Amino acid sequence: MPDFQLTVNGRLRTVDADADTPLLWILRDSLGLTGTKFGCGQGVCGSCTVHLDGKAVKSCQTSVKEAAGHAVLTVEGLSKDGSHPVQKAWIAEDVAQCGYCQPGMIMTAAALLKHKAHPTDGDIDEAFADHVCRCGTYPRVRQAVKRAAGGVK
Amino acid sequence: MTSRRDFLKVTGATGTGLMLGLYLEAKALPGEAAIAEFRPNAFLAVRPDGTVRITVPKTEMGQGVRTALPMAVAEEMDLDWSKIEVVNAQPGPDFKSMQTGGSTSVSSTWTPLRKAGASAREMLKAAAAARWQIGVDQCRTELGFVLGPGGKRLGYGDLAEAAAKLPVPKNPPLKNRADFRLLGQRTPRYDGPAIVTGKAIFGLDVRRPGQRFAAVLRCQVPGGRPKTWDDARAKAVRGVKAVVQVPTGLAVIADSTWAAFRGREALATTTTWDEGKGRTFNSAALEAKSRAALTGPADEARKEGDAEKALAAAARILEAEYSFPYQAHATVEPMNTTVQIGQDGAELWTGSQSPNTAQSTAATALGFKPERLKVNVALIGGGFGRRLGTDFSTEAVQVAKAAGGGPVQVVWDREDDFRHDLFHPATLHRLRAGLSASGALMAWTHRIAGPAILRSWLNGQKSPAQASAEANGALDIPYAIPAITVDFAEVEAPTPLGWWRGIEIVPNVFARECFLDEVAHALGRDPLQLRLELLGDRGLVKFGRDEADIRRLKKVLQVAAEKAGWGRKLPAGHGLGLACHAYDGRSYAAEVAEVSVAKGQLRIHKITCAVDCGFAVNPAGLEAQVEGGIIFGLSALFTQITWDKGRTVQTGFQDFPLLRLGDTPSIETHIIPGSDTPSGIGEPPVPLPIPAVLNAVFAATGKRIRRVPLGPDSFK
Repeated sequence: MPDFQLTVNGRLRTVDADADTPLLWILRDSLGLTGTKFGCGQGVCGSCTVHLDGKAVKSCQTSVKEAAGHAVLTVEGLSKDGSHPVQKAWIAEDVAQCGYCQPGMIMTAAALLKHKAHPTDGDIDEAFADHVCRCGTYPRVRQAVKRAAGGVK
Repeated sequence: MTSRRDFLKVTGATGTGLMLGLYLEAKALPGEAAIAEFRPNAFLAVRPDGTVRITVPKTEMGQGVRTALPMAVAEEMDLDWSKIEVVNAQPGPDFKSMQTGGSTSVSSTWTPLRKAGASAREMLKAAAAARWQIGVDQCRTELGFVLGPGGKRLGYGDLAEAAAKLPVPKNPPLKNRADFRLLGQRTPRYDGPAIVTGKAIFGLDVRRPGQRFAAVLRCQVPGGRPKTWDDARAKAVRGVKAVVQVPTGLAVIADSTWAAFRGREALATTTTWDEGKGRTFNSAALEAKSRAALTGPADEARKEGDAEKALAAAARILEAEYSFPYQAHATVEPMNTTVQIGQDGAELWTGSQSPNTAQSTAATALGFKPERLKVNVALIGGGFGRRLGTDFSTEAVQVAKAAGGGPVQVVWDREDDFRHDLFHPATLHRLRAGLSASGALMAWTHRIAGPAILRSWLNGQKSPAQASAEANGALDIPYAIPAITVDFAEVEAPTPLGWWRGIEIVPNVFARECFLDEVAHALGRDPLQLRLELLGDRGLVKFGRDEADIRRLKKVLQVAAEKAGWGRKLPAGHGLGLACHAYDGRSYAAEVAEVSVAKGQLRIHKITCAVDCGFAVNPAGLEAQVEGGIIFGLSALFTQITWDKGRTVQTGFQDFPLLRLGDTPSIETHIIPGSDTPSGIGEPPVPLPIPAVLNAVFAATGKRIRRVPLGPDSFK
């Protein structure tokens, strides 16, 4: 069985897995990083969103083979202490309800703001088109993204 | 009326757990003797370092109980909010009724939690008074300290040991509302920091040493069972350790979730099924049966006057049929439970809304006494009633038992979650209104036909309360009409059913509030004015066992209409619609929707909501519940579960179009505290968006939509 090397939250990790194993399960079951959530496994709910080389990807639709040799960032690696501007904005707007889909939303917000410091409402709609929040935190997600705008380097 | 709330009370063990837990003598538990904690009751413990652990007796699922409930303790105890630690209760002698549903978490714990905090406060004051040798009345409390004359000051931690030796007061004085410092203040979610850093542990995040993962291959038809299979192909999948049979199907045990899923896929290719009696069930046949049941015998839920006679005498009769589909809970975190079985007991980690039932059903499955089952209540990635069921935790116990004890985490995938939900059932509604020659509403009948949730919940038994439960939202129509008949005609369906956020009130209020709108337009009356007139100048009105204060309902209706600008000139193509309801006679809500329809496309611009759920414990959390409840209700305009050959046609979010961020209208919430005590807010906003939007669609287009979900043909 092949070994794959990937950098997760700045740390080089080697995992032994089938090549088509979704990155989601490598993170959750092999590396114990449970902040990245399983919601659908079909790429339609966004709960498993992580960054691959700085871009938001769905880790349930990204194989360990595709991730190998790249930099993976999960919600646990976004900041040491919750001080990333998006995390701070999320607290300030009291966005979360049950909280389950929120790490994925936060990773999407962080990637969006990294590439576009001041997104329009349309940009926000588009960035979150693949995210499901059954609790209905959407209005506060929008507010939090706007609050964090300009603060993400 | 017997509401689900009453039902929860009855079935949730004795319903007295809170009171029993309240006045325990302060004592250390085995193995904790060395820790000099002050624990005057089951809800709180003061540690020597002054931090206070608050035990929450309800399950957090996003509704904010891990914030709102500790606020009640912290208020009475005068705690420093930054020095509290919140933990979840476990079922047991102290917590006999942890069931979390019916929008009752705050109202049912409000007084016991305040008393718990107040008794601790009085004991800490008494301990300080003794230390200072002064009267208790010379002491007061502030942010974790007892203060005395001349700048005397002692921290709760320093007083813990002495306070623990004092008697627990039976009736400690509760604070006056004017003295509240925390209750009523916008308080951010306690778990926010853990959630945004990924540290919050949901059921699916539980990891035990040596834990394995399991996926259960179940028949696509609920109730079906595997007939033949060959586990060789599953066992050939890397990481798969075993295949075991359980009552619900075949469990594949593996060293990762992915391996369990892969193994299950391989196993499925070799399995044949006995699909059971549900195998021919389909939505079209159910609808035909329900339509037939719209006339003929039914169980009465409310009868006032003689509606048939009044209809016969009416100058004009309006009649309409409304239709609401099956719905799924679609929590984002799929069902799961982790189980470890030992020699004489077992431990569960489960996101359950019914922890006591999870404990007793697990105990039965394992042949242990319930007290040998330790149930750790995990954070829940969305409940909405789905996790009131214990099917998934019991199944996990059976998997662990068959697999040699665990620890094992049983993980449902998205398709499992859709196929094996405890569904909200489809109903048809026939409504008739009798109008007099002078334009008065003289008669109202509302027949509901469909499967009975309560029967499914009671394992197939018909309760005497069935008709009133299934007619909730219809029988408590708040309008003064001389003759009213509301009844329920049960139609059998082989599908598992359960409570869904907003319950029967969602379809029943949809039909009721839209049909009232039809009456208003038929009479050429403004829908707001007609409602206000029909609410009249009444006070408390009884509906069966519940009663509602019509003045409070009228108030929220007036405020919502005023804030939404009811009657203002609207942009071309726009319409306003409204709906209101007194939820279980306790929480009052009204919503106004502004929509437009262009080229067959509906746009929902704004929902304005006014709510009165009594005292607003945490206005921030309350607003979040209103926003979330409205979005939950709006989603049901578009989603449905349909059945074919006994299976759900929908298997995931891709064919269950929940509202997304870009679809979400602007939402404005107005809180009107009509009472000094809190009621509930999780569900009251949910039933109103559908009728408000569809009434607005009529106002905008003249098109009356009586069937949800909306489809491509709805606006033709």
